Amino acid sequence: MIRARRAAVVCCTLGALVATPGAAAQAPPAKLAASLARLFGPHARVDTLHVDSAAALRISTGDSLLGFAQVGNVIGKDQPITFLVAIDPANRLKDVDILVYREPYGGEVAYEDWRKQFRGKRAADPLQVGRDIRSISGATISVQAVTAGVRRVLAELTAWHESGAIR
Amino acid sequence: MSRALAPGALVAVLASIATVPPGGAAAQERTTVGGYGEVHYVNRTGPDTPGTVDLKRFVVYLAHTFNDQIAFRSELEVEDAKVEGAEPGGEVALEQAYLDYRLSDALTLRSGLVLPPVGIINETHEPPTFNGVDRPGFDNDVIPTTWREIGVGAVGRVPGVEGLSYRVYLVNGLRSAGFSAATGIREGRQEGREASFANPSFTGRLEWARPGLKLSGSFWYGGTAAADPALGKGAFAAPITLLSADARFDVSAFMFRGVAASIWVSDAAAINTRYATAVGSRIAGGYLEAAYNLLHALAPASSQKLNAFVRHERYDTQAAVPAGTARDETLARRITTFGLSYKPTYNTAFKGDYQLLRNKAGAGEAEVVSLGIGYQF
Repeated sequence: MIRARRAAVVCCTLGALVATPGAAAQAPPAKLAASLARLFGPHARVDTLHVDSAAALRISTGDSLLGFAQVGNVIGKDQPITFLVAIDPANRLKDVDILVYREPYGGEVAYEDWRKQFRGKRAADPLQVGRDIRSISGATISVQAVTAGVRRVLAELTAWHESGAIR
Repeated sequence: MSRALAPGALVAVLASIATVPPGGAAAQERTTVGGYGEVHYVNRTGPDTPGTVDLKRFVVYLAHTFNDQIAFRSELEVEDAKVEGAEPGGEVALEQAYLDYRLSDALTLRSGLVLPPVGIINETHEPPTFNGVDRPGFDNDVIPTTWREIGVGAVGRVPGVEGLSYRVYLVNGLRSAGFSAATGIREGRQEGREASFANPSFTGRLEWARPGLKLSGSFWYGGTAAADPALGKGAFAAPITLLSADARFDVSAFMFRGVAASIWVSDAAAINTRYATAVGSRIAGGYLEAAYNLLHALAPASSQKLNAFVRHERYDTQAAVPAGTARDETLARRITTFGLSYKPTYNTAFKGDYQLLRNKAGAGEAEVVSLGIGYQF
């Protein structure tokens, strides 16, 4: 019984994510689950929070809040790049994960060496290629797209958290 | 709204939804249009050499995504703005046209008209990506950009080695009937036009990347006889071997790049006899370039760039010649280019440069002033 109710919640969770405006492409569920488990530990609890028509994930364990996350999509050259942004309770960026990359060139954005530049960033940081984010030769379009996407999602999560829309 | 969630349950349930995506969002068909182009003004020193302007390239990028695995991508190019019957100059050509079948991050199968992954410029040739109005001379005379041939191959990330990716293709071979002393293998390209497949050729590349740094190595190997009995009928008759290495390194406001390549034309003597030409048995050279973004110092908050750069190229399409072929020392070229690239966005560029065209013989040397614009989207 309990298991069934959990299942219903998750259905809503992913349904809401897919319905997010601009989220044309989906993340494979296993990848999303693995990414959340990697960032917040295997036993973290995941809830969906709705803000207008958008959705954010709240991650907690016991009574303590671990952070928030959101799945975003940006168009690279011609394909959506599906990524996850996670923040901690102090609105510091915890990590970025590339959930699905579909372009022919530029997959270097999935490398940890590139993604780790985002860790600890705040919405007030520039998050601009060439300033606080280093580019990768031959992957410029993907680098620009993902950086802009992360900047947007980080700003959104931070604003929601500060306004109490998510808590 | 809130329920505790065990990860096992999460995966199981998410997987069950994935098979019935709400609104069918997993497999969206979409068609994308993009493009790139460049316009040049070129003025060579000398009494009777007026400047010229040319809409050098106008390229339309057209792609279609059939589902999450299969995508078509193409580039259709008009060179020099116009093609008119019975008049020389101008060209309409496909630069790429291929289907990708994506199986995993480690393996995408690619088939169609593809770009041999050799050097920096051949695959990444959009004008805002390189300094200088025109591509380096090396990327015309040694590596024949934009080089495209028909074939099949595989591309992806090397599993388990962070930062490493590969591309390998089996494509049609070059035709040595087009080889020349001054531009090496360039006119041996078949470019997808009723190409001879008498000499299947292999080409590939290994890239290692991290932020600010990319190191790569490329190769090409294949016959060039195109079933001409004078050169042999085997699949690898009159073979050429190309090896190339390149590096790109960005640190703070400095950008460095360098490429070196060597091409061995094994049967250059037979080719020169057969086609009355003077192809080198070895074609070799490279260039080094350093650039500095002046806006880093002048306007640190700006995301625009104003790159001052200098590039030095040294290459010789007759680095070695076979017995019986006379060596032309004007082909041992040394080109130095100074210039500025103003990039208000990363995908637009206004460029100007000054080139010193020199050669080992010291004959026919010149200076060239060029201005240009370039864009991609």
